[in-house]
Amino acid sequence: MTDIQQTVYVVEDDEAVRDSLELLLQSDDKPVKTYDSATAFLESYSDAMAGCIVLDIRMPGMDGMELQKKLSDKHSILPIIFVTGHGDVPMAVDAMKEGAIDFIQKPYREEALLEKIEAALVQDRQQRKTLGEKQEIVRRVKSLTPREHEIMDRMIAGQANKVIAIELEISQRTVEIHRSRVMHKMGTHSLAHLVRMVLSVKNLIDPR
Amino acid sequence: MTDTVIDNREVTVLLVDDNPQNLKVLYETLKDKGYWLLIANGGAKALELACCHQPEVILLDIMMPEMDGYEVCRRLKADPATADCAVVFLSALDDLSAKVRGFSLGGADYISKPFQSQEVIARVKTHARVIRLERELQARNRELQSDQSRILNAISEGIYGLDENGIIEFANPAAGQIMNAPVEELIGQCFFDLHFAAAGDSQDPLPVQATCRHGIAEAQRDIQMLRVDRSAFRAKYRSSPKQDADELQGAVVVFRDITAELANEQALEEARATVQEQRDQLAHTSRMTTMGEMAAGFAHEVNQPLTAITNYARVAKRLVGKAEPDLVLLQQTMDKVEAQSHRASEIIRRIRRFMKKPATGKEIVAIAALLEDTRQFAEVDMRNNEGGIELTLAPNLPDVLADPIQVQQVALNLIRNGLEATRSVDSAVPVEVNATLTAQGFVRIEVRDHGIGLQDDAEEKLFLPFYTTKSEGMGIGLTTCQSLIHAQGGEIGFERPIDGGTRFYFTLPVAVVARPESD
Repeated sequence: MTDIQQTVYVVEDDEAVRDSLELLLQSDDKPVKTYDSATAFLESYSDAMAGCIVLDIRMPGMDGMELQKKLSDKHSILPIIFVTGHGDVPMAVDAMKEGAIDFIQKPYREEALLEKIEAALVQDRQQRKTLGEKQEIVRRVKSLTPREHEIMDRMIAGQANKVIAIELEISQRTVEIHRSRVMHKMGTHSLAHLVRMVLSVKNLIDPR
Repeated sequence: MTDTVIDNREVTVLLVDDNPQNLKVLYETLKDKGYWLLIANGGAKALELACCHQPEVILLDIMMPEMDGYEVCRRLKADPATADCAVVFLSALDDLSAKVRGFSLGGADYISKPFQSQEVIARVKTHARVIRLERELQARNRELQSDQSRILNAISEGIYGLDENGIIEFANPAAGQIMNAPVEELIGQCFFDLHFAAAGDSQDPLPVQATCRHGIAEAQRDIQMLRVDRSAFRAKYRSSPKQDADELQGAVVVFRDITAELANEQALEEARATVQEQRDQLAHTSRMTTMGEMAAGFAHEVNQPLTAITNYARVAKRLVGKAEPDLVLLQQTMDKVEAQSHRASEIIRRIRRFMKKPATGKEIVAIAALLEDTRQFAEVDMRNNEGGIELTLAPNLPDVLADPIQVQQVALNLIRNGLEATRSVDSAVPVEVNATLTAQGFVRIEVRDHGIGLQDDAEEKLFLPFYTTKSEGMGIGLTTCQSLIHAQGGEIGFERPIDGGTRFYFTLPVAVVARPESD
């Protein structure tokens, strides 16, 4: 959980707001990196970034909404807190629909902002953890042989060993051996757990 | 000679002699020369005929019984009806004193007896012509005078002729009408006493006094004059000195009652003021609308420094709360708070000035500074425009005479239109604003965008009220701009650059440095 360094990425075109926010977060002992435009952030973006983005919704050039879309295309899971102005609530709502974690209206109270940043960081940690778990499941699924994968699919579908043996024209004993190898490789003893695990990464493994 | 005969036909010649023989000779000499000849054998008869026929020429014998030629001549000259006759004395007396006496009584010429018929004919002819010319001249003069008096009578302005003391010598009928008194009653009165309340008790010179006393022409408008009944009215007058050779003989005053004129002017002025007020009102409304459209932008602009201030204040608090505060950082942070406060108040100052009502009126405006301020103003709106606004000013632009707020309003309106047109085609080319000096003494400001361009029928419609190409527009922006620029004495219009987009321009008169007035 504490193995990844979480950073607050501030994307804000206004120099004074950017500078003051950097000072503020630093005084709260938060690692901060600032960017003066959406383009600048996008150029330095990588999968390895962890933490959250504090993103001004209105900026000249690429605006906040556009950056959100571009990051989503890159499968970024960094939570985004949108910073909005007085008249930007409809924009903020759209941003929330697109998956932003929260928005905060300028001028904001420090507590409110820090709370939201804290929540975003927690979410980021959880997402990152879940993502780690899923990636492990996927890794395990990929370690199965094609025959084992096929038998796992039939197990999940609820077929009995006998049925599997007849349909695949192999002995029931062979099915049992494959089955135990699947359970071993997937690191579980329970069929119910196996079903849950595989379903959770269903969208991450190639459809057969 | 034939010509002479015809020429003389209307000329009457009176022959006066107590000697019938002389009369006969004279008659024989002058008959058939085309004159109308009258004959008198004595002074009394001569006067009677002269009075009756007003002859041009009288050949008058001096030595006559009862009434001699001198006496006849004196009487002829005394009677206006016969005063202009040419009296030619006839006498054997050929001495100097007789001739001098004859001339001194008004005689025109002298023929000595015994006379030569050629001399008589020549002298009569000459005098007849002189008298005829004189009479014609007089007739023309009379005509002219009656024309003049007709003009004086017909003129609606009052006219006074004053002597050097201001006594009214002449007044036309209009003067009587204006003063509400018969003309005869005005004549002989003192112009100053009659028409001015301050006459007598004021040290200041009254109107026309300088003309009467020093021959200085005057003209004044909207002075108070009194009628004969002492009621007052507003008047306008001109006075010019009456001069004969170099001698000042008084003044001629032409005046008029301008009460109705002043009332009309005031009504006109009021109407103009109403129009002005409505235009200012409309301009103000239009500024309010602009501000409304820009409200989100302004809120954002003000929120930026406020947000920064809040953040800095928090940082400062934390610094102070520490056991060993970093005073240098604290100082820096507080400086930043101050700078951001100034930034916020600058935005608010700009809005307040723009919303001011009524506008401040015309003044001498440094156009470069005004356009730079306007550019910053428009940038509030420009956050979605990548290209921005590019301002180019010709070097040494002179100041203009204009209402700065209204000029800013027009410039802002045109720039915002340009930004919108640029956005509508997703262009990143900046809106170009430039100012140059024209040869006609105007500063020309151009706002050029590379946007969608104007429709084909824009020429007819663009400046019409309620015409708009924008879905949310009211269509009063450009109409207001036009009326504002016209009020500054400038022109506004647009052009279609060959490489696309639109160029709007307006001109403002260069402020002329006031020269000291001579009067």
